[in-house]
Amino acid sequence: MLTRRSALRFGAVTALSPLVSNFAFAADWAAVEAEAYGQEVFFNAWAGSDAINSYIAWAGDEVSKRHRVKLTHVKISDTAEVVKRVRDEVKAGKTNGSVDLVWINGANFKTMKSEKLLFGPFAETLPNFALVDVKGKPTTTQDFTEATGGMESPWGMAQFTFFADGEKVPKPPRSMVELAAFAKANPGRVTYPAPPDFHGVTFLKQALVETTNDASIFARPIDKANFDTASKNWLVFLDEIRPTLWREGRQYPKSQTEITQMVADGELLIGLTFNPNEPANLVAAGILPKTTVAWQYEKGTIGNSHFVAIPANARAKAGAQFVANFLLSPEAQAKKNDLKVWGDPTVLDMAKLKPEEARLFAATAVPGSVSLPGPAILEPDASFVPLIESTWLAHYAEG
Amino acid sequence: MAKTRLVKGGVAFFVLALFLLPLLASLAFAFQSGFSAEGWAALWRHPQLWPSLWLSLATGVAGTVLALIAALLIVASLFETRFWQNLSVAMGAMLAVPHVALAVALSFLIMPAGLIARIIGLFLQWQTPPQWVTTHDPFGIALTLALVLKETPFIIWVLAGLLSREDVKLNFANQRSAAFGLGHGSGSVWLRIFIPQLFGNLLWPLVIVFVYGATVVDMSLAIGPTQPPTLATIIWADINSEQVAHNARGAAGTIFISFSLITVLGVAWALTKTLKPLWRALLTEGPSTWKVPTMTGQIKHSSFIGIYALLLVLLVVLSLAKSWPFPQLWPETSFHSWGQISHQSGAVVTSLVLAFTASGTALILLVAWFETMPHHFDRPLLWASLALLGLPSLFVGLGQYQMFLYLGLTGTGLGLFLAHLLPVMAYMMIVLAQGYRAYDLRYMVTAGSLNASLLSNLLRIKWPMLKAQIWAAFAVGFAVSVVQYIPAQLVAAGRFSTLPMEVVTLTSGANRSLLAAFSLLLTVPPLLVYGAAALMGRSRWRHT
Repeated sequence: MLTRRSALRFGAVTALSPLVSNFAFAADWAAVEAEAYGQEVFFNAWAGSDAINSYIAWAGDEVSKRHRVKLTHVKISDTAEVVKRVRDEVKAGKTNGSVDLVWINGANFKTMKSEKLLFGPFAETLPNFALVDVKGKPTTTQDFTEATGGMESPWGMAQFTFFADGEKVPKPPRSMVELAAFAKANPGRVTYPAPPDFHGVTFLKQALVETTNDASIFARPIDKANFDTASKNWLVFLDEIRPTLWREGRQYPKSQTEITQMVADGELLIGLTFNPNEPANLVAAGILPKTTVAWQYEKGTIGNSHFVAIPANARAKAGAQFVANFLLSPEAQAKKNDLKVWGDPTVLDMAKLKPEEARLFAATAVPGSVSLPGPAILEPDASFVPLIESTWLAHYAEG
Repeated sequence: MAKTRLVKGGVAFFVLALFLLPLLASLAFAFQSGFSAEGWAALWRHPQLWPSLWLSLATGVAGTVLALIAALLIVASLFETRFWQNLSVAMGAMLAVPHVALAVALSFLIMPAGLIARIIGLFLQWQTPPQWVTTHDPFGIALTLALVLKETPFIIWVLAGLLSREDVKLNFANQRSAAFGLGHGSGSVWLRIFIPQLFGNLLWPLVIVFVYGATVVDMSLAIGPTQPPTLATIIWADINSEQVAHNARGAAGTIFISFSLITVLGVAWALTKTLKPLWRALLTEGPSTWKVPTMTGQIKHSSFIGIYALLLVLLVVLSLAKSWPFPQLWPETSFHSWGQISHQSGAVVTSLVLAFTASGTALILLVAWFETMPHHFDRPLLWASLALLGLPSLFVGLGQYQMFLYLGLTGTGLGLFLAHLLPVMAYMMIVLAQGYRAYDLRYMVTAGSLNASLLSNLLRIKWPMLKAQIWAAFAVGFAVSVVQYIPAQLVAAGRFSTLPMEVVTLTSGANRSLLAAFSLLLTVPPLLVYGAAALMGRSRWRHT
């Protein structure tokens, strides 16, 4: 029994870490793997999508088969819940925390990192991290301009994407200015979610990036006075587009998903999402029509990555690292990339993969996949978010 | 004597240890975060504070007053008619529909791409939905409508419970024949004699309805105003945030809205005091032949049943609707959502076991309390219950979570059970207290004088007479337990999967078909229990 297990473990190591050359590094990882064997990992992940839940269940089966790691998906509706839970646990001195791995990015990550609620750095010691396209996809180490510092491991890519029924919107608007013209021609049929909804804030960021002359300001923290200067054109743009929006811009939907439903119903013409493959998924699920088209702006849209992190008080830190490494494996990334499974774009660099591995990622265009792509723009510095939110709110407080 | 003292001590200990102390401790932990000066400063700076407070209070007051009027009209019209026996069953069925399910279905009925618009569009050849402002209207009219629809059955249910008590029935029959003899019409009897007597018993249920309406979040998100939204949704977003600063503003907002609610209740109380002399003048001014507008009441009753039936059918269709673009009158259907739900049998069992044990425990504790403690001891329990129900459940839940962390109860089955017991017992306390305490003790005195033991008198006289209310309280507790989300999420750290936890997480993807299917599933267990309660609560001496 013991020998079979060891053989299994050895097999797993060689299969999952093809590029490990440094012996000491491999030895460290071998120790992590040995400790991970048989551990139970509580993975706290947003569970609002059947496709995502099924994928996590698949990953659970795989790590259990490979290394007897039991992956339990703790289903959550909002990652902020996890941040609060871990914060309270650490405050109460609870060392065997309830969370081993959490799906995270953006403000939640920044908060956990700055409050020292995370374990690490660990990401760069994962054997499969060597396959990540850190140069071509800079957001894999810059989470909303916050350096990840190895405190979270990249999992997937996201880019702001619009979608519509191609029969109703034959010529998709490919910039904010074109969107404003479209809204003027189709009054009441375009809108965005009210902040602090994440997609609403992203829409406003995108508008800010497009209406600001000096793109260099977004890389640095900004104060209120400078923001007020930089956002003058932005407010002019928002005021201009507002009366042409749904309900004349006096009411806003509360979320991106609500807008998607309204697009499916026919009340709105254009939807928005952070997952470029979501429209194709929705077409496959029969929620959107086969004539759906998805696009990004010509000069680019805001892009980012999402990650997994390990809380400082996690019980199964080794098991969590084992899972994080598995999630980065070509096999797991290819499966996730598959439109029939989840359709979440990979963080890996195709050039670093073996040809037979890279082939797994070959994508064919399906109804609803992005037909007019644009480059990814880096997120503005995190200091922009509260200013965008409060300025917008002060401006449009009373509908 | 020593034995009685022991029993009393035991009851007091369990009620305090399992209910009052954990509740107060949760509140203390929760309010800790409400004493930050930055939180209050940020709250005063919030540009939507006053308009959103106004929206919250206005929808709460309007919803309560309209629901009360509708309920009184229906009850007065149907009392002792052939519809009366089935009224409780019908209302119980309506109570079982979760608030958010009602909001989703109602929203699909009246929204611009909704059913009504599609039917009109059929005749007018509309190809795109009209630009109506029917849901998410800035005045909260749609939200008020949803509240009235949801709360009227609750008030009727409470009234029907009271009016089905044998002692009350007997009193009313005597009073009515006397009043008729003096020349009063039926309307005059209700307005001047019955309603003033019932009002005392309606007080707490009405307070719950108001507090609930003014603090509801899920319904407000589904159908309420968005810019500005109601204050409760602003607070909810703040408490949910990962930022400590937002949490502090949310805590300050919670205290602020609580005081605002107390102020409104105080004003309402003062108003009734000032109006009392006027009311009394009206009551004593000679007999009037004014009759109950029976037709209006019956039409109202039928339209309630009709609307609920329509909304339930809509939910069923929505749960099967893969896509349903305007202007189609019928969707493309699939069983996908139900397929997803079929995986959740474990969660269903956990939720049912929790609901039975929590409401059963609460019922035993409460009845034991009422039988051993003097009436005025109820006050602290009632106030604590009301505080629990009026505050956002996430806010209280977070306090409870911090307390359980220190006690090492997080992630345990016991912690999960206790976290369910709190809201269950609070609701049951409010539903049961007045009816139980209003019981005419002369029956027991008479029975006691016949030398029977106390227990046998309780079993054979008092509890059978109160059984409608006891079962009703159990049903309410059960229904409350089944929809608890925060305990499973926070206190149990996601270690136990319950039905609402699956529902809330899956529906955070806002798939309307899935939401409809889960809402229906959440409706079934309380529906069965309400139905059973209504049947069990029927009078033993019914002749029909």
